[in-house]
Amino acid sequence: MAANATTNPSQLLPLELVDKCIGSRIHIVMKSDKEIVGTLLGFDDFVNFLKIFLFSEITPEGRRITKLDQILLNGNNITMLVPGGEGPEV
Amino acid sequence: MTETEESVSQVLLKFLIRIATMSLRKQTPSDFLKQIIGRPVVVKLNSGVDYRGVLACLDGYMNIALEQTEEYVNGQLKNKYGDAFIRGNNVLYISTQKRRM
Repeated sequence: MAANATTNPSQLLPLELVDKCIGSRIHIVMKSDKEIVGTLLGFDDFVNFLKIFLFSEITPEGRRITKLDQILLNGNNITMLVPGGEGPEV
Repeated sequence: MTETEESVSQVLLKFLIRIATMSLRKQTPSDFLKQIIGRPVVVKLNSGVDYRGVLACLDGYMNIALEQTEEYVNGQLKNKYGDAFIRGNNVLYISTQKRRM
């Protein structure tokens, strides 16, 4: 605790958390009540996401659009990221 | 003494790993953008409208030029042949498609 007062070596920055998630599954909730589940391939400074093997995009009426292959997601609309998230239905 | 040395080296190691992965991390979206030029893509806008076409070019603001574009809103609405320009602020995502529906 005394060490944390001066330096914070155990502090986890948000982008670090996303960085850890690269290569594994992630669940992204967007502003417009849409969600995307897939594997995170990478991201950039503006948190635009590059994802691979996108499983599904889930719209609020329960419609699911399943896409495969890579997707570049615009970071402007992202509300929340859940590393290792399954999505609304398991 | 050894404990502080270990913690310092751990912090340094984390820092170095961050720098190493940061350079990798920055490449992936711009690399992806270079790779998909000329491929059939799906562009979804914030409004929910879907555009499918061949990607002619795009920039870092996600401004997109498409060829042979088809516009989908629930069903198929319009067909555009030739060039379509989409302003990047409207773009929700750009996706490649190996399977055409």
